[in-house]
Amino acid sequence: MSTLTLRPTRKRLKSRTGANVRIISGVVACFLFLVPVIWMVATSFKLPTDIFTTPPSFFAPITFSNYGSYMDAADIPHRMMNTVIVAIGASVLSVVAGAMAGYALSRLRIKGAATIGVLILVSRGVPPIALAVPMFLVARKLNITDLHITLILAYCTFLIPYVMWLMRSFFLALPKELEESAMIDGTSRLGAFFRIIVPISMPGLISTLIFSVILAWEELLFALVLTNRNAATIPVAIAGMAADTENGAMWGQLAAVGTITVLPLIVFALLVQKWLVKGLAESATKG
Amino acid sequence: MMQMNHGNGRRMRRTLIAGGVTAALALSLGGCATASNDAPAAVDGGGLGTADKPVEITMIANDGYAKQWQENMVPEFNKEFPNIKVNIEGVPYGDQLSKTLLEMTAPEPRYDIVMADDNWIPQIASTGGLLDLKAGAAAWTDEDYDWDDFYPAALAAGEWDGKQYGVPTRSNLLMMFTNKSLYEKAGLEAPTPEITWDEYMEQAPKLVQDTDGDGAVDAWAVGTYFVRDSLTPTIWQTILNSNGGKLLDDDGTVAFDNKKGVEALQTQMDLLQYAPPGASTWQFNEPLEAFRQGRLATMFTWGSVYRGTAVDPTTTTLTPEQVGIQTLPVGSASAGAHRGVWSAAISSKSAHPEASWALVQWLTSKAGEKWQSNTLGVFPARQSTLNSTPEQEWLVPVFAAIKEGFEAVDAGQMWRPRMVESDAVQQILADQTGEAIPGQITAQEAVDTMSADITKLLK
Amino acid sequence: MNAIQIAKPISGLAQSKSGRRFQKYRVLDFFDRWTFMVPAAVLLLAVLAYPLLYTVQISFAKLDLATFAPSEWVGWENYATVLTDRGFLNSMKVTAIYLVLALPIQMFLGFGIAFLINAEWRGRGLIRALFLIPMVIVPVVAGGVWKMLLDPLWGVFNWMGSLVGLPTVDWLGDPTLAMVSIVMIDTWRWTPFIVLIASAALMALPQDVFEAAAVDGTRWWQTLRYITMPLLAPIIAATFVVRWLGAVKMFDIALAATRGGPGQSTNVVNLYIYEQAFRSLKFGESSAMAVIILIITVILTLIFLAMSKKLEDRF
Repeated sequence: MSTLTLRPTRKRLKSRTGANVRIISGVVACFLFLVPVIWMVATSFKLPTDIFTTPPSFFAPITFSNYGSYMDAADIPHRMMNTVIVAIGASVLSVVAGAMAGYALSRLRIKGAATIGVLILVSRGVPPIALAVPMFLVARKLNITDLHITLILAYCTFLIPYVMWLMRSFFLALPKELEESAMIDGTSRLGAFFRIIVPISMPGLISTLIFSVILAWEELLFALVLTNRNAATIPVAIAGMAADTENGAMWGQLAAVGTITVLPLIVFALLVQKWLVKGLAESATKG
Repeated sequence: MMQMNHGNGRRMRRTLIAGGVTAALALSLGGCATASNDAPAAVDGGGLGTADKPVEITMIANDGYAKQWQENMVPEFNKEFPNIKVNIEGVPYGDQLSKTLLEMTAPEPRYDIVMADDNWIPQIASTGGLLDLKAGAAAWTDEDYDWDDFYPAALAAGEWDGKQYGVPTRSNLLMMFTNKSLYEKAGLEAPTPEITWDEYMEQAPKLVQDTDGDGAVDAWAVGTYFVRDSLTPTIWQTILNSNGGKLLDDDGTVAFDNKKGVEALQTQMDLLQYAPPGASTWQFNEPLEAFRQGRLATMFTWGSVYRGTAVDPTTTTLTPEQVGIQTLPVGSASAGAHRGVWSAAISSKSAHPEASWALVQWLTSKAGEKWQSNTLGVFPARQSTLNSTPEQEWLVPVFAAIKEGFEAVDAGQMWRPRMVESDAVQQILADQTGEAIPGQITAQEAVDTMSADITKLLK
Repeated sequence: MNAIQIAKPISGLAQSKSGRRFQKYRVLDFFDRWTFMVPAAVLLLAVLAYPLLYTVQISFAKLDLATFAPSEWVGWENYATVLTDRGFLNSMKVTAIYLVLALPIQMFLGFGIAFLINAEWRGRGLIRALFLIPMVIVPVVAGGVWKMLLDPLWGVFNWMGSLVGLPTVDWLGDPTLAMVSIVMIDTWRWTPFIVLIASAALMALPQDVFEAAAVDGTRWWQTLRYITMPLLAPIIAATFVVRWLGAVKMFDIALAATRGGPGQSTNVVNLYIYEQAFRSLKFGESSAMAVIILIITVILTLIFLAMSKKLEDRF
C-alpha cells in the first residue's frame, strides 16, 4: 500500500476509475443473471390467474397463499430437513476425502496415485441413470434404502471427483516451502496438511464446499430412486408438483418452492464468506 | 517398498473379488425373487387388524393425488376400518412406472397397493408382481361388490391376459373443452357432441380472432399436446379410432400405416395452425394456462382439469357457464375420447393383502365411489354413480360427458396398446409425432418410421 | 517433484541413523502418503464398483423387469442396436453442438465476471453470494421460469421486444433457437460456478506480485498475459475439466425447458439415455449407451488432461 501512495496522483485516479468501471460492470452482470430469479420471486407472490397474462403483469395483487400452500404440501418441513442433512453430510464427507486426495495428487508422489486420480475423475462420465438402478438394488440387499446415509454415499460419487480435481489445482498454486518447514519440525504429513495447508486454502475449500452443497441440494435422480419417505428430499417433491397430471402445475407454488429452497443456501453462502476472507487474510500474513 | 506395493495390490484384488462375489450374490438372490403370479394369497396377513394389533399398508401413487388421498380419503376409510393404517407415498408421474417396477422386484416389496396408469397394468403384471383380484382376493370380496356395474371400458384398464389385476379408482378421459364466449364472439354456435372433424376444422380459422379490437390476434381456436411426449400421440390416436382405424391389430401387428393413419396425424398437425404462437412446445400445462386465461376456443385434454378450469376462481378466469365439456369431434365412425383410467392393484407379495383389498374395495364400492366423486370431485367409473345426481352442481354436465366418453371409448377401443411394451410403443409414437408437428418431417414419413420402429420393437 | 524435494532433507536425516530405522521410516512414510488417497478411493470403490459392473453386465444382456437381473445374454446385440439407433446418434450430435457452444462461452464469461467483481470493494461478498442463485434453483423450477420468460404469448422477453417493434420470437419452438435457448439457460445456470471457482483462485493469488507489477508500471494486459494467466493456468484447466464433466451429463434443463424438442433438436445424450431407461424401460440398450458414453467421455477427458498438463508445464 505504501508504494501505491507514492505514485503520481493521476495514475491513482486512473486505477480508481478502472476499479469503479469494473465494479459497475460486475454489478450490471450480476443483475442480468438475476432477472429470471426476480421473475421467479415475483411469480411466487402472484395469484394463479395473474401468472400467465399479456402483457406480463408487473404489479399484480400480492398474495402469500403460494407459500402457505407450499408449506402445507406433502411433508415439506420434513423433506427440507432431509435435504439439509443429506447436502451437508455429503458435502463435508466429500470435501474431506476429496481435498486429501487432491493433495495427494498435487504434492505427494505416490506410485499409482495419478492413475487412481484419473480413474476417480472419469468416473464422473457415467450417466447417472445407469448408476441409480444398481445402487438401489445394492441398497435394498443391504436393507439401507430410504436412509440418509445411503443418499450421502451416493452423492459422494459425484462430489468427490469434483472436489479432488479442483482442490488439486488450488494446492498446486501454493508455495512449496509451506509444509517443508513443518515436516522438518517433525510434524506428520497429515498434521502438516490439516494445520498448515487447510487454513491457507480456505478460499478454495469454501468455494468447493458451497459448490458441493449446491449440487447435492438439487439432485433429483438418486433421491427419487433411493428414497421413499423417511429420507425423501425437496427436489423430488418439486418434480411431483411440476408433473401434476390432475390439475396442471401450480406455477405460483412452484416459484414459491424455488424461492424458499434458495434462501437457506444463500444464507449459508453469506455465512461462509467470512471464512473465505479470513483464509485469504491468513495466507497473506503467512505467505 | 516393493513388498508393500505388492501386498497392497493383493489387497486391492481381494477387495475386487469380494465386490464381485457380493455382486453375484446380489444377482442370484434377485433371481430367486420371482414369485409365481397367480397363486392366491395364502395368508390374510393379520386380516383387517385389531385395536391391539393394527395392520399398516403402504401405497405408491402419483404426487398429483397422493396428498389429497392421504388427507381426505384415508380418514374417511378409517371411520369404517380403524385398525388399518394407510401410508400413501407420492412419486412424480414421469418416473412412477419405473419406480414402481423397481420397488416390486423385492422379495418383500415396500408397497402393498400399486396405482397404475391406464396402460401400465400389462407391464407391471407381466413381472408377476400383481394379485389376480377375482381369484386371489375372492374370499375377502363383499357379496354385493358389483363388478358388472363398472363401465366395461373402465374395468378393462385393470385387466390383462384374462385376469383382473386392478379396479378403476380415478377415471379420466381425453375430452374437448370449449369456451362458449369465444364461439359467441366469432359469431358461431357453440359446438355440440355431434360436431364432426370437418365442421370443426372449417370453424377453426374463424376462431383465431382479435377480441378487443386492438388489431392484434389475441384468441386462438385450439390448444393441446404438441410437444414430443408420450401423451401427445393420444390426440391423433383418438382421431384414428373415431375414423374406425386402429393402431395395432388384435395380434399386435401395425395397422395404422395407411391413409387413415396419415390423415389422423395430419389433422393433429393442422391444429397447430390455429393454435397460439409457441404452441409447438405445448405439453399438458401450457394449453391449460391459455385456456384458463380465455385465449382458446377449444382444448383437447384430460377431463380431470375441469374443476380448476371452469369452477375454481383462484385458478381460472372462466365460469362453468362459459366452459363446455364434451367428447372430441365425430369422425367417420364415432365421436372420440381416450381412456386414462388409474387402476388400483395389489402386490402379490403383499404381507397384508386382505387389508389392502379392503381399502381398494371400499374406495371402488358403490358407496365409496359416490363419496369420492361428491367430496373430492374425482371421476367415477360405475354406471350407478354416473347415473346418480352429483351433489356438486358443476359435475352434472361432466357426468353426462363422461358417460358419452365411456361409450365412445368402448365402441372404438380408444386406449393405448394393451401389451407389455405399451410405454415403449407410445415413446416411438411420441418421437415421430414430435418431429412431424413442427414440420421437420411429413405425416407420411412419420407414419412410415413409426410403423417400422414398432414392428421392430414387437418382433 | 515437490514430494522429492520434501523427502530429501528428511531421508538424508534418516540415512545417518541405523538401517532399521530407515526401513521403518520408509514404511511409515508410505502409509503416511497413502492415507491421503485411501478415503476417496475406498469410498468410491465401495459405492461405484457394483453399479459399474452391473451396467456393463446389463449392456450385454436382456433385462428381466421382474427381477432387474439379466435374463438372457445377447452378446453385442445391444451395442449393435444402439449404434444404428437414429435417436442415439442424433443425441450425440446435439450434445456435441451444445458443448462446443456452451463451454467456451461459460469459461470466458465466468473468468471475465470473476475478474470484474473481484475489485476491492465492500459489496463483493454479497455480489458473489447473489451470483450463486441461478445454480441453486432446482432445475425443474429454473426451466419453468425460463419458459415463462421466453414464451411468445406471455413472456417478458417478447413483450419487451414488442415495445421496440421487434417481431415475436418463438424461442423454444424453433429448432435452432431452441438450442440457443438451452445454451443460454445453461450458461445462466453454470457461469456462476466458474465465477465462484475463479474468484476464489483470483483471491488466492499472491498479491505482492501484482503490486510489484504495478510499481513497474506494467500495462494491465501485460500483467494478465505474463503474471495472471500463468498463475491461473492450472485452475483454468481444472475448472474446464470439471465443467466439461458436468456439462456432458446435462439433461435436467433440457427436460424441463424443451423436453428435447422441437423434434429431437435439443435431445442431449443423457436425456435420451434417461428416457430410454426410465420411460421406455429399455435398460439393456440404455446400459450399452451408458457404456459407450462413458468410453467417449473417458477418451476426451484424457485428451483434455493431457492438454491441461501441457498448459501447466508451459507456464
